[in-house]
Amino acid sequence: MHTIVCMKQVIDPEVPPHLFEIDAEEMKQKRGTHPLVISAYDEVAIEVGLQLKEKTDGKVTVITIGGEDTVESLHQALAMGVDQAIRVTDPAFDDADAFGKARILAAALRKVEDFDVVLCGRQAGDVELGLVGPFLAEELDLPCATIIANLEPHDDKVRMRRPVETGYEILEASPPFLGTVTNDESNVPRYASVRGMLAARRAEIPVWSADDLGIEPDHVGPATSQIEMTELFVPETDVEIELIQGETGAEKAKNLVDYLKEESLI
Amino acid sequence: MSILTFCAASSEALPDAPLEVLAAARHLSEELGGRDVHALLLGSGVEEHAARLIEQGADGVFVVDDPQLENLQAELVLAAVEEAVEQLSPAVIIFPHNDLSGGHVAPRLAGRLKTGIVTDCTSIQVDGDTIRWLRPVYGGKAMAYMVAEGPLQIGTMRALAYEPLEPDVSRDGTVETLDVDLGAASVDVPVVDQIVEEEEFAGRSIDRADIIVSGGRGMGDEEGFESIKRLAEVMDAAIGGSRPAADSGWVPHSHLVGQTGKIVAPQLYIAIGISGAPQHMSGAGSSKTIVAINKDEDAPIFKAAHIGVVDEWENVLPALIEELQEK
Repeated sequence: MHTIVCMKQVIDPEVPPHLFEIDAEEMKQKRGTHPLVISAYDEVAIEVGLQLKEKTDGKVTVITIGGEDTVESLHQALAMGVDQAIRVTDPAFDDADAFGKARILAAALRKVEDFDVVLCGRQAGDVELGLVGPFLAEELDLPCATIIANLEPHDDKVRMRRPVETGYEILEASPPFLGTVTNDESNVPRYASVRGMLAARRAEIPVWSADDLGIEPDHVGPATSQIEMTELFVPETDVEIELIQGETGAEKAKNLVDYLKEESLI
Repeated sequence: MSILTFCAASSEALPDAPLEVLAAARHLSEELGGRDVHALLLGSGVEEHAARLIEQGADGVFVVDDPQLENLQAELVLAAVEEAVEQLSPAVIIFPHNDLSGGHVAPRLAGRLKTGIVTDCTSIQVDGDTIRWLRPVYGGKAMAYMVAEGPLQIGTMRALAYEPLEPDVSRDGTVETLDVDLGAASVDVPVVDQIVEEEEFAGRSIDRADIIVSGGRGMGDEEGFESIKRLAEVMDAAIGGSRPAADSGWVPHSHLVGQTGKIVAPQLYIAIGISGAPQHMSGAGSSKTIVAINKDEDAPIFKAAHIGVVDEWENVLPALIEELQEK
């Protein structure tokens, strides 16, 4: 089976709060010297795609929207075992909202043509709206499963594991379909090997523009935007900590319980 | 033009989330200078919940009661909501942000109707005629006001964002059954099986727990993590874990607290052997009171915690469990 994973690159979310800075004017996080990484759920989606590839003797293609600085993440995906990476870029794509991104990705998928499964992370690690996957399913009129963790081939269908409160549901779909992916114990992303990384750097990565995709620039940019950020700010978080004292661990434990009772927390 | 709220329920119970969403809608109604708030009640055998929705904020309830909605299968729920929206033409529709509505139905509805949506909101404001949806971004390190444009505005609200209104039995409201035919709706992605997870975690969801006891990498191994479970037991708390704990299999991923897990807001959150990486604090940061037990006094968790104990957990936990048992 051929799986396409839609991938986004974000500024490393593990940047600690005291180094986290925003540009209130641009309404974005400041890049600074922080590394760019594959958004966490997208990395999980790549892992899920690779596992399906291994079970079906299939292949995985990863697509991203973005400039030159996304190449490193594409290399990482290739080094994990992805067969083909595609970069979609155009000045007209800047500041596209989730609708615009879904239209761009839909055009790219139509150009790829032969795919069975489309996977998106359930949400990106920056603005975290979680819209592009479901929008893309609507754009391509594909059956859609959300928040799934694992795929198994089952005859000519695919069975999916979906974490729910009581455990798991097993869903079934006939390709082609789209799934948004969440993490569980079955899909901890594999590391990219050094050899894979070396091979990835030599890989040919096609670059498709709006023109290549037959996209009218004014159909995807800010002019068509329906979801807009109007203000970004960092909330005040001055927490006073009460450190529990004691000579021994046991004494601290007792003092902690006393304090929690005093404050009516237990 | 009315505000519609989404209420999916089973016949036995009306969950808290739709009541919180009703409270959010009432707040929005006031901000807009008074709009009708209607609830869309969906499920099988759910009509009896309508009275409660009126008592807690709805001016009217539209009911889609259909045996096909017994399991609240996402595609059927979506089909029902789409049909309801067409009949009722609301100006705004507000959903709870959970896997069914926030993760599936609301985004697909927005995609289908080509209308603006803002997900996982914690507050709603009005500025002139503009509805501003406030939501955490960048793993909770920042907040953003967002605006949705289109024929219908859709918002999904994070759990506990608004407190349900006090029931008022004197409130009046209408109850009307909507004529929605799901006969033609197709299910492309059916549920074919259910697997129930390990008993010790079943029925102890962290989603709305008052107290959560959470362990991280510092617990060392599965045996170390047993201490977290014992403390949770004596405190009648739910068990949580950081990403290393979940990836090591000490807790199921449904109990993972963090940016790639659950976002929780308990009254009391006890973090043990957790350094407090941004990934984790994204999920735990909204807790009312955070207690941290960690041997490293420089651990970032002590920047976010309200109460701290600096020590090895091995020195503290046995006594803590004993103290609480005696209580």
